[in-house]
Amino acid sequence: MSVVRLAAILFLSLVAVAALTPELWTVAPYNVQFREAPEAPPSRQFPLGTDAIGRDRLSRLLYGTRVSLLLAPAAALLSCLEAAALGAMAAMAGGFVDRAVLASAELFLSLPWLFVLLTVRAFLPLNTSPAASVAITFLLLGMLGWAAPALVVRAAVRKLKQSDFMLQARAAGCRPGQLLFRHLLPNVMPVLLGQFWVAVPVYILAEATLGMVGLGVVEPLPSWGSLLRELESGTGLTSHPWLLAPAMLLAAVVGSFQLVMPRQDYSV
Amino acid sequence: MTGFLKQLGRMAALVVVAGLCSALLLRYSPGALVDERQMDQRLSENSLAALRAERAANANVGANLLRYLRGLPGGDLGYSTSRNAPIAELIGDAAPETLRELAVGLIGGWLLGLGFAIPAGRFRQAWAYEAASVLAAGLLLSLPAALLAYFCFAAGAQVEIVLVLVLTPRIFQFARNLLVQAYGSAHVAMARARGIGEMRILAAHVIPAAGPQLLALVAASASMAIGAAIPIEAICDVPGLGRLAWQAAMARDLPLLVNLTMLVALATTIALAASEELAHNGTQREAARAR
Repeated sequence: MSVVRLAAILFLSLVAVAALTPELWTVAPYNVQFREAPEAPPSRQFPLGTDAIGRDRLSRLLYGTRVSLLLAPAAALLSCLEAAALGAMAAMAGGFVDRAVLASAELFLSLPWLFVLLTVRAFLPLNTSPAASVAITFLLLGMLGWAAPALVVRAAVRKLKQSDFMLQARAAGCRPGQLLFRHLLPNVMPVLLGQFWVAVPVYILAEATLGMVGLGVVEPLPSWGSLLRELESGTGLTSHPWLLAPAMLLAAVVGSFQLVMPRQDYSV
Repeated sequence: MTGFLKQLGRMAALVVVAGLCSALLLRYSPGALVDERQMDQRLSENSLAALRAERAANANVGANLLRYLRGLPGGDLGYSTSRNAPIAELIGDAAPETLRELAVGLIGGWLLGLGFAIPAGRFRQAWAYEAASVLAAGLLLSLPAALLAYFCFAAGAQVEIVLVLVLTPRIFQFARNLLVQAYGSAHVAMARARGIGEMRILAAHVIPAAGPQLLALVAASASMAIGAAIPIEAICDVPGLGRLAWQAAMARDLPLLVNLTMLVALATTIALAASEELAHNGTQREAARAR
């Protein structure tokens, strides 16, 4: 394992620990308002200052990081499960099922991912509770991201289906369930793992984009998207450089995910 | 000819299905049949009945789509309720801005992406250049398009620069990997051993070998650019198709959104089909040359 990759893993672990224990590093939860200190500059009490209504920025950043870091992998897992089910089904069944899955994937891929995401998100209720908005945002990411990984899984399963060990297993009388769980799934796992690692940073960035255009997680719950939206308030970055903290953390975390991503050949 | 017609039919089917899906999505989304105007207590019973009838007429997705397809040859794309204007006019006004943006973004992205990738592919020992270019690309890839748009907007830069910044690292990464592979092949080593100049090696050996995959990347970059145009135009308040799509989605303007979905699907499928065809021709030419 290279030094850079090790450093990225260490950094991600530190961020995860800080995000999971924000009460250790901050003076109050993300929604507590210090009305006597709105727009306060960084200080010992508030290392990243406070926002327009006096909430601790560091606390909001850590809670927002927790939301993104917990839910982006969950959404990636959901889309990988969908991709595994649909891709494997298409490859194993062939014929009409294969054509239907291929056509659906082609339809999804004929529209840019961000366009689909923004359109579908806008159709769902915007005036919801913070918890519901988190669920909607990340479920949507998970449910709409299946097409590209499904095509990869389909190709891998088709190749495996024709391999000698599958033929031997079939000749030995293996039932379809056994074929699937004992022979196919363990061999497709590296492909799915690769797709999972690719999806996590993509979903983190997609949530940030949705949040910046007002379609992400709603207030008062923080997320990277809603924190970055504060940049649009017009406050000068040269006089308030600490406002860049969410952008810098986002870049560092996504960059670290790209470095951690396993680089081996997934062809089976 | 049959292949071309088949491709055309496939594209048309994809575009219509994309439009139908977006119409169905909007029709069955929560609150789709609610009209805010019905809550206006000043309206008479007759006006409310007229509003309800208008909503009911718009509720039939199939009939609406058929009506739309019938009007399409005559250039009638329907009427936008949220913008209170004919859709053809709205798209006609917004399209030039987005097309200009996409053209500059794609040309700039490709020039810079390839421009940085060629030295990275050629000089594998130049670790400082390799590290700097990979780091810069990694940093840009780690920022959402909307954030880059905000930075450019705050700095007073042109909106096209955002698209260039979004596309360049992606094109650089793909192109660099392809060129490293092409530069490492045996025929390039042979050409170099025969004393052929680097420019000739690039033009006659490396680019043709990586060409089909690079052409396939053209379609992917066009799709990326269209997708990125929405948040960029929304953040920078550019009067293009991206902002129009965002406004239509926020206002749940069914006719406008269906038109924009079909337009985007058409643009993407044309780009995909064209690059597929070019890549296929390139592969065949390469195979023929190898024989």
